[in-house]
Parts: sequence; C-alpha cells; structure tokens
Amino acid sequence: MSIIFKKSMRDIQQRFRSTLLAILALTIGIWGGGSLLVSFYIMSNDLSANYLLTKPYQLSIQSKDFAKLDLDNLHELPEIAAAEFRDRAILRIEVKPDEWLPLWLYSVEDFDQLSIAKFYPQAGQFPPAKGTIAIERNNLLISQLNVDSVARAQSNGKLIDVKISGIIFDPGQAPSTQDAFIYAYTDEANYTRLSGKATHQKLIIRFNNVKTQQDVKQAYAKLAIQFAAQGIKIEASNIPKFDQHPHQFQLNTILMINGSISFLTFIMSMVLISQLMNSIFTRQTRQIGIMKAIGAKRGHILRIYLTYLLSISAVSIAIGLPLAVLTGKKYSDFIASVLNFDILTTDLPYFIFAIVIVLGFILPVIFSLPMLRNAVHISVNNALADYGIEAGNNASSSRKTSSMGMNIYSLAWRNLARRKGRMLVTMLTMALGVGIFLTGFNVRESLSQFLTNSSNSMQYDLKVVLKNTVPPETASAPFNDIAAISSIEGWLDGVGRVQTDAIATANSIGLVAMPYDNTLNKHDFLQGTWLTGAEQLEFVINQQAASEFAPIVIGQQYTISIAGQDISARLVGMVREFDVAKIYIDIDKYRQIAKLDDEINSLMMVLNDRSYDNVLRVKKQVERVIANQGIEVVYIISEVEYTKIVFDHLNIILTALLILSLLVLSVSAMGMGSAMGINVMERTREIGVLRAIGATPKMVIRLFVMEGFMVSALSVLLGILLALPLSAYGAKFFGNLILGENTPLDFTFSFMGFAITLIVTLAFGYIASRLPASKAIKISVREAIAYE
Amino acid sequence: MNIIQLNNVSKSFEQGGQSFTALSNVSLTITKGEYVALIGKSGSGKSTLLNLITGIDHPTGGHITVADTDIHKFGESSLAAWRGKNIGIIFQFFQLIPTLTIIENILLAMEFVNVIPKDQRQNRAKNLLTQVGILEQANKFPSALSGGEQQRAAIARALANKPEILVADEPTGNLDSATAKSIKAIFTDLVAAGTTVIIVTHEDISGTDFDQIIQLKDGQIQPHNSTVSEMK
Ligand SMILES: Nc1ncnc2c1ncn2[C@@H]1O[C@H](COP(=O)(O)OP(=O)(O)OP(=O)(O)O)[C@@H](O)[C@H]1O
Ligand SMILES: [Mg+2]
Repeated sequence: MSIIFKKSMRDIQQRFRSTLLAILALTIGIWGGGSLLVSFYIMSNDLSANYLLTKPYQLSIQSKDFAKLDLDNLHELPEIAAAEFRDRAILRIEVKPDEWLPLWLYSVEDFDQLSIAKFYPQAGQFPPAKGTIAIERNNLLISQLNVDSVARAQSNGKLIDVKISGIIFDPGQAPSTQDAFIYAYTDEANYTRLSGKATHQKLIIRFNNVKTQQDVKQAYAKLAIQFAAQGIKIEASNIPKFDQHPHQFQLNTILMINGSISFLTFIMSMVLISQLMNSIFTRQTRQIGIMKAIGAKRGHILRIYLTYLLSISAVSIAIGLPLAVLTGKKYSDFIASVLNFDILTTDLPYFIFAIVIVLGFILPVIFSLPMLRNAVHISVNNALADYGIEAGNNASSSRKTSSMGMNIYSLAWRNLARRKGRMLVTMLTMALGVGIFLTGFNVRESLSQFLTNSSNSMQYDLKVVLKNTVPPETASAPFNDIAAISSIEGWLDGVGRVQTDAIATANSIGLVAMPYDNTLNKHDFLQGTWLTGAEQLEFVINQQAASEFAPIVIGQQYTISIAGQDISARLVGMVREFDVAKIYIDIDKYRQIAKLDDEINSLMMVLNDRSYDNVLRVKKQVERVIANQGIEVVYIISEVEYTKIVFDHLNIILTALLILSLLVLSVSAMGMGSAMGINVMERTREIGVLRAIGATPKMVIRLFVMEGFMVSALSVLLGILLALPLSAYGAKFFGNLILGENTPLDFTFSFMGFAITLIVTLAFGYIASRLPASKAIKISVREAIAYE
Repeated sequence: MNIIQLNNVSKSFEQGGQSFTALSNVSLTITKGEYVALIGKSGSGKSTLLNLITGIDHPTGGHITVADTDIHKFGESSLAAWRGKNIGIIFQFFQLIPTLTIIENILLAMEFVNVIPKDQRQNRAKNLLTQVGILEQANKFPSALSGGEQQRAAIARALANKPEILVADEPTGNLDSATAKSIKAIFTDLVAAGTTVIIVTHEDISGTDFDQIIQLKDGQIQPHNSTVSEMK
C-alpha cells in the first residue's frame, strides 16, 4: 500500500471524531437529498401517469337530446379520441349508522370496454353484478362499506337498499378521504332504478391533438356547432383543468417543498464538510510544509487530501444511497396512499443513482476547493511559519486580555472574531436553517390562519342542501321540532364539488344566491367589498372563478350566464376561500332573473350550542328527520366538518412542511455542533496555556459555552431576518399553489416556531460547546500544550 | 568543484509597508564534499540564507546556483522534485509526520521523489535507521520517541533519496551535549562519505573540523577570526 494512501487513512483514524462527523453529515445529506430525489422522481411521474392512464375526459356535455346524436359518426371524427355516456347522479348513502355522505353514482355503458375515464377492478366482482354497485377503494377508509354490504341510500325522498359487489380503483377521483364523497359505478338500468334519472344525458369526451385547455375550448366550439345543426341543445358543459388530477396541486406543493429542502440539506452537509476540511487543513499546514520541503509535489499533496475526501464520500454514499432509495420509496408510498394513486415506478433509472454518486463525490471536493487550493499552493516557507490558527494581530491582544484577569465576554468575542471566516460560515448555515425552519412554521401558521378565517366565514352550523327549490316554510317545517336549532335561513346554494349539481352558471361555476345583508357569511376579501344591495345587479366572485372573468377589475361590468340567460352584472369584490369556483349574488335579484317565486334550496341552520359534539349530535337528528320524512336532499354538511375537510386537504402539506423544516433545522444544528466541536478541539493547546496561566476548568468551560451562545444567538437573529422575506414569499407562493393564481396567504409570524428555534439553537449551542470543552479540560496541562 | 555559488544575493521582507533587509550582497562558494558551519547571532539571517539555498524562499536580488542549476527558475512543483532529489533538509523541530511511523516517514520521502526503486526502499530505509542507530524504533510513531531520536529519524529521512547536499538548521539546538555529540558524529561520517553538509549552529565550533565557517552579522558575511586553514 502506498504511503501516501496510508497517510490519508491514518488522518481518518487520527481525526476519527471529525471524520465520523463528516461522514455523518454527508450521509445525512445524501440520505435526505437522495430520498427526496428518489421520491421526486417517482411521484412527479406517477400521479400524472396514473391519471393519464385512465384517459381522463377533457369535456363533459349535458343534454336531453342525445338520442339525436349519431354516436358512430361522432367516433369517426378525427378530432375525437374517445366519447362515452357517463351519467352521474348525486344520491346519499349511509356509511355508518345515521351518518350519510353524498353518493356520486355513475352509469357505465360497458364495464369491459372502458375507453375514457377508466377505472380498475380491485376486489369483489368486476363488472359488478346487474343491480349492484362497485365503489372506489378509497371509500373504504371513510365508511363501513365493503364488498357484500347492503347500505341504505336516499333517492328522490325514498330509502333504497343498495348492494355493493365490487371495489374498484379510480385514479381520476379526488381521494375521498379528503373530499368525503362515495364514488359508485353501476350498469345503466340500475342507475335509472336508483336515481330515477334517464341515462345518456351526459357525454364525456377526449380529443386528439389537444395540448391545452384553450385547445379543448376551440374543439368544443366546433363540436357545439355540429351539435346545434343536429338539433342537440346543450344544457351545460364543463372543461376540467387540462389532463390534471384534481389534487395535483397538493402533489405540486409537496414536490416543491421536497425539492428545495433536498437542495438545502445537501448544501448544508457540504458546508459541514468544508468546515471539517478547513479545520483539518489549518491543523496540518505545517505538515504540508514539511512534506513539500522533503520533495512532495503539488500532485502529491492533492492526492493525500483527495483520498481523504473521497474515502469520506465513498463511505457516506455506501450508507446513504441505499437508505435514500428505501426511504424515498416509502415516502412515495405514503404520499401515494394519501392521494390514492398507485406507484407505477418499480425500477429507478440508473441516472438517479448516478446523480447521487457523482454529486456525493464531487460536491464535497468543490466545497473544499478553497482549502485544497490553499494546501496545494501554500509556499513551504509560509506553511512552516504557520502555527495553526491565524496568529496575526489578535493573538497578542487576547494574550493581553488573559493576563489582565480575563474578561470572559471580550475574550469569547475576540476568539470568534479570530476565526471570522469559519464562524461566519457556521452562522450563515445555522441562520439559513433557522430561516427555513421559521419560514416553514410561518407558512404553516398562515395556512392555519386561513383555516380559521374560512371557518369564521361560515357563521352557520349546519347546511342542508335540498334537491329541489321549495318555499322556505315548506323547507324548514320538518325541522321546527328540533329544539337545538335556534334559527334557519333560506338560500339558493350548494356546497363544494356538489355545488354545480345544485345551482350553477351555464359554464359550471357554482352560484350562491342569498340575502345580501345576511349575517351568516363573513368573507375573507382579496379585493373589493361585499354586495351592497344597490339597484343594479352586482356579484362577488371567489378566487377560483377569477380565471373565468380575467382580467379582474372591480367595479367593471361582466356577463354572467344564470338561469339560462346572459346578463350583465357589476363585479364588486373577490373573496378567498378553499372551494370550487363560485359567484355570489343577492337572492331577490336572482329570483327576479330566474322568475322564481319565494323559493329556496338550502337551509342554513344556527344552533344554540355551537360546540363540536353538539353540532354532530344535532346533525344526526336532522339526518333522521330527513330519512323518516323522505326529504330529497343533496348534501348535509356541518361547518365543523367542512372546516375539517379543508383542513384534511391542507394537512398533508402542513405535515410535509413541518417534517422537512425539522430536517433542515437538525442538519444545520449538527453543522453548528460540529463547528463548535472543531473550535474546541483545535484549541486544546490554547486551553493548556490558559490553564497554565491560572484559568480554572470552570472558567475555560464558561469561555467556550459563551462562544457557543454568542454564535447561536447571532444565528437566530440572522435567521429571523432571513425568515421575514422568505415567509412573505412563501405565503404568496403556497397561496398561489394551493388556492389558485394571485391568491396569497396572509403573512403571519409563528411564535411557536420562534420559541422552538430559540430553544433548539441555544440548547445546541450549549451542548455543542459544553461537551467538547468538558472533554478538553480533562487532558492534563502538559498534554494540552504538546497537542498538535 | 563548486556545488553552491551565491553572487550578491539579497533578501528583504516587506512588512506593513516597511522593507526589512535580512541579507544584503551575500556572495559565497561551497565546494562539493565540504563541511560548512553557518554561525551568527540570533536574527543575523542564518535561516534566511539556508532557505534561499534550498529554494524554500526566493532572493530579492542576486544569483544562486546549486548543483549546476539556477534553482529559482523552477516552478513550485519541479522545485519540490529537484529539492527532494538533491537536498536533504533537517529542521530544528516539528519535522516528522505524526500520523506515520518512523520508517513510513522515510518511505514517504522516497515515494515523493521516486528515485529509489520500489523494491529497494524498505531495505534502504532500514539501513538508514541502522546508520543513525534507531532501527528498533522503526515502527513507532514520532510522539513515542525522545527529542534526540526524533532528530536522528529526521536525518535518516533527509538522507532517504541519496542527496548530494545535507542542510540542517540548528539540528542539535535543544539536545543534551552527549546526544548532540553523537548526532554530529553522523554528520562527520556523511562528509567522509562525500556528502556536502551545511549546518547552522549556535554552539562553540572550536575543535570541530569544518572546512568552511560562514559568519553572518546583520545580514552580511563577516570575516571569521580563525581561518579554516588555521583550524585544520
Ligand atoms: N518572513 C519574514 N518576514 C519578515 N522578517 C523576517 C522574516 N523571516 C525572517 N525575518 C527577519 O529576518 C531576520 C533574519 O532572520 P533569520 O530567521 O534568518 O535569523 P536567524 O539568524 O536564523 O536567527 P535565529 O538564530 O534566531 O534562528 C530577522 O531579523 C527576522 O526578524
Ligand atoms: Mg534561525
């Protein structure tokens, strides 16, 4: 074995603790960064792959005239990739005793010949036996339904027993764990039997050669003309986001967080490595001088330290990479199960491994380049004159201080100033960690603030959406006997994704018509104000509807198509809410337009006792009344449950933010720990000198702990400064990602995050300097002075 | 035959905008196989002069030729290679690589310079250790050796690549007189074997058979009171 190689290995042995730290840091970097890379690769591909494999529909059209449509002819059209009738009715189904959820019932032309919006068998029968239904697999998590259960369904005011004979997987649906719907699929005859509705009234279409939602709109315009010519009157149409899974935004957000955090973890572990290399070089400068004096060329020196670095990398990669693959896959599995999609990626491509390996070897070298350069280029003379740390001007002043009865503060401060470069790097890394961590907490806080706002915006406790519009007295009469309800107000409204089935504009924007001066809605305004009750027709939109009306100018007239008419109305405000696209108008104005009498479809109930338990208890009472009296209902939701649904949508993002911020904080804390450790190790000799001139072990420890505290305190301060702009940006960025374009969240400062940061950082600063210092003072003065 | 030739060599240091002249107009000649003593008070420029001869430092004026080579024309790496091959250097303290054993320290020097064939290195290293009398310490680490033993190890390492010139800066400075004596004996043996040896010393040089004594004072060569011929 070459002596040069031997020397590298001995350096590893001798600097065992530092080397171990470097390996640990790099391993964590590779593990963290690598697993996120692996999961990024898997997830960024698989959710959309799952979705696209189902051949999702790009357009849905509703009409009662499809009997006039020549389907064969439609299939012949070159621009049509696939078209099927897929009617959908919304019923209600009992998922647990007295707990009902909306049932989205789809009629399927032929289970064995799905050409669009496909789904796959999972358990039980496929196709489901005639007269039975198959439900989506994610439904099992929110109900007691399963293969062979018979459940009660409410349809047209009647209770019908439905049998479940199969479980399917429909990657095109939003996970029901978040949306709280039951998705069911059945044959056409059974669909009509259960829903009382005719089939072939809704056509779903997928086009050839379309690349954007705009292309789809154009293709639809052409098709609409042809349909009109055939005498087919289109009642409503819907163009979903182009080939995008309904919950892609969640995945995008998670991937975004993943990406940036993995990058940061990597960078931080690099900074750690470079600090360790720096410390090693500082202590070996004289050795480098000697080696050069006895004939070592630059290449020799380079080889020694490269061997050292590359060995660290090799070990770290050997440990970190398999861990990265394992946890990356597990993490993807977890996200996939939450979002209800299947992992399709079985083998990772070689380039993923190659990226990790190459980065694992090259980045530490790049980050140590300044030190390597210095080691290679330093002249023999300078190297030999080097006594370890920058002796320079401050050395003499610190000696002066120590002989003058040792003011710990100023000595600690001078010591830090002496290693300006390294301490600056330590502080910046730590500050970056603190900054990211705080940002994570602040954005989290912004989201919970948003949740609180959206819960506050609903001042009612229960909302019952009826299937038909009826006079208010008729609607509320059945519930007059429930004493717990203090008041009921009637609206024209729907909720969430069933909104459009209740009341909507012609292009499927949800419509809410309520008294403009009601007290049950307290919205969170992005722009403008609430309806004023002015003579002229006014409307308010939510941010999801913004793209339909772009550009948004408050006070401007827009055309809205309601109740089959195109009407000009003045836009007065835009609100922010976690919901589908919606517009709000005054109920009296709507009735005038729709020529409705004094009728409503929604009951907004306020309870005497608004506590969670009571709300749910009253909800069950309401459910019983509905079941017994055969009231036709689309949806019943309590404000508390709705808030929970919104929370469940955001929770996965909140959790990811929290876990990953913690990862960053711990890596940076480790960085600080090692920097402080190095700081003490390097100064073993100085400790000897201090003690020789009379410093007690206590004083020495206090000196180092003081330094540790100063570094942590400064890091926290810097980190907070960094967190402010980062959090403001994060609130904007995540708002846009989660709620839609131009919808920032409000900036908030999380005191909890701040407290955690402060405690963790100071504790780490303390431990990281206290431990090595206690160890260092155990060495005898004589040994300490002789320490190289 | 001249092995080292200095013509009007000067060296000044720039520090804090001020220039300090450590050597001015030094000219000297050393012939092959000479045993040379470099003496003078502390700060007179002895180490500076040695550093110029070994190429560790560069002169600010004048010319230096060592073994027929204008050493300051070399780049850093070729200079290191040349030095490793032609000059053995012994410092006053801290010279052995602490993470390598004594024999490995010697092998490292051979590996750097690569003039001794690989299969002879182990044997040669042992012979050198025998020559300086510390063969039994071969596999110990430097920290386990006494100061005198470390100095011997450093001499063995300096001789690793059969250099023509051996340069030592106060090699016996902090050794007891008996140990110092035995180390000096090694030098005389080397001179006898044809090596040119230059040592810096503070000690009394009477009674030592130097071929040339160079005395420095404030960076200039002083005529020495006893000529070489007188001493012989
Ligand atoms: N790098 C340097 N920068 C500035 N001045 C220097 C430098 N190296 C040496 N000197 C100065 O040059 C003069 C000669 O130094 P040198 O080390 O050659 O003395 P010396 O004769 O070897 O002394 P000693 O016997 O104490 O080792 C001294 O005054 C010293 O301060
Ligand atoms: Mg000297």
